[in-house]
Amino acid sequence: MNDSEYLIELRHLQKSFGHQKVLRDVNLKIRRGETMVIIGSSGGGKSVILKHVIGLLQPDEGEMVFDGQVIGTKVTQDFKAVRKRMGMLFQGAALFDSMNVGENIKFALREHNKQLTENDLDLIMAETLHMINLSPDICFKMPSELSGGMKKRLGLARVIALKPEVILYDEPTTGLDPITSDVINDLILEMQSKLGVTSIVVTHDMVSAYKVADRMAMLLDGHIIFTGTPQDIRETTNPYVQQFIKGQRRLLSEVD
Amino acid sequence: MEKTRRRPAIPFNPLRTVIETIGALTLAFGRSVKAITSDYLDKLGEAVVLLARIFYRFPQVWKNPYLTVQQVVRIGVTSLPLVVVISLFIGAVATLSANYQFRGYVPDLYLGTAIAKFVIIESGPVLTSLVLAGRVGSAIAAEVGTMKEKEELDALAVLDLDPLRYLAMPRLLAGIISFPVLVIISDCLALVGGWVVAYGLLDVTTATYVYGLRFLFSVYDVGVSLGKAVCFGIIVILMGYYHGLRSDGGARGVGQASMRSVVSSSVLILVMDFFIVYFAY
Repeated sequence: MNDSEYLIELRHLQKSFGHQKVLRDVNLKIRRGETMVIIGSSGGGKSVILKHVIGLLQPDEGEMVFDGQVIGTKVTQDFKAVRKRMGMLFQGAALFDSMNVGENIKFALREHNKQLTENDLDLIMAETLHMINLSPDICFKMPSELSGGMKKRLGLARVIALKPEVILYDEPTTGLDPITSDVINDLILEMQSKLGVTSIVVTHDMVSAYKVADRMAMLLDGHIIFTGTPQDIRETTNPYVQQFIKGQRRLLSEVD
Repeated sequence: MEKTRRRPAIPFNPLRTVIETIGALTLAFGRSVKAITSDYLDKLGEAVVLLARIFYRFPQVWKNPYLTVQQVVRIGVTSLPLVVVISLFIGAVATLSANYQFRGYVPDLYLGTAIAKFVIIESGPVLTSLVLAGRVGSAIAAEVGTMKEKEELDALAVLDLDPLRYLAMPRLLAGIISFPVLVIISDCLALVGGWVVAYGLLDVTTATYVYGLRFLFSVYDVGVSLGKAVCFGIIVILMGYYHGLRSDGGARGVGQASMRSVVSSSVLILVMDFFIVYFAY
């Protein structure tokens, strides 16, 4: 293991879809064990950053570095060794519709650990469900029978059952009521404190961002224009950051 | 200021105008043919590469045999009622048409022979596969398209589970297993359907019909029929999966993926049928 302070580094990342340049020059470093929140407007490319981190997309230019090793460039993608060290909670939870909740949690576990018996798998599942405050009775339900918040929690359960070092959250609170959102925020904090995971959270929900973030980064026009603690971001005079965090339609300078 | 020079007027010549128009139309036609052909060739190339990648994962089937069994049930067993109905009617209709053409010219003895040849070589594999393209291929395209839309394919990849191994390979293998079995069942039932009509409506005795069936029966024909079934099974499943993967998402995208899978597998089945018959006989 590399002992550098940073676990994940994105260097000069660029990505276009057709003629649309989504990421122009993204540079971001994430420390071990911290929760980094990436904020920015909808459709601005925040999720695209996450997909580069976990290797679902290949950059047009730039590098993705994990634990000191360059694993993603425009020429090669070498995520085989690190895939199991990362997990991702998708925006719609992406539970497998054709399987019940229990199978959703156990499927990947069973495939990756052939030595585990069904008994072991049931134990891990119960433990995981306990961690996200759900009773094991839910495991026979199908994903279509669950509410949005429940699906998100189970998506998280599926991720933590594999004990990853890094969890990526794609809009974890979008579409949820404020109370359920807060439940998810607490879970993100618990994952960090109990399991010591490094997290990257992509969101435009500022309440959630302030609550879970150790540091925050703001993406604008394909660049990271600001990085700092929640306190820094509140105090910054950068008009674009202020416009976003205060939810103003016009720039502060224009208002003046 | 200098006046803009006007182009000298070209005298109107009807012959030249006609020739120019024909030339322009030919060029436009050539360009569109080129565009369509290269587009189709690109897609065909992609599909072939996808097929090779799925075949490459076949040795791993023993690690999760139940996934393939599930798909055999879904693709094969649940399609059985449909195959039963269409096969009985194909046999019945074929017998009626053959009788209409034979009456007065060809002895009843050859009715069974003609039906057996037609059913085993053509209608069994081709019509069954065309119907299954509508039932199975479109369902796979819609399922994979929806999984893509709901990020389930990404979720598989993120959990380090190869979608080709866990989704595509069991379906393709199930197609390769199910299609020949369904075709054999369809062949037998079509012959039964033919017998019902021959015996019940056309006053052909069972002995004559059966003698006709056996008269020019060849095991080679059955082999060709099964070979076709395997090829068509691969086409239907591959097109379903391929168009599902390429779907744009949303209700419209998934619908179009379904439609494209049926259209492309139907066309490919008939083209492939031509080449198999051409080389086999």
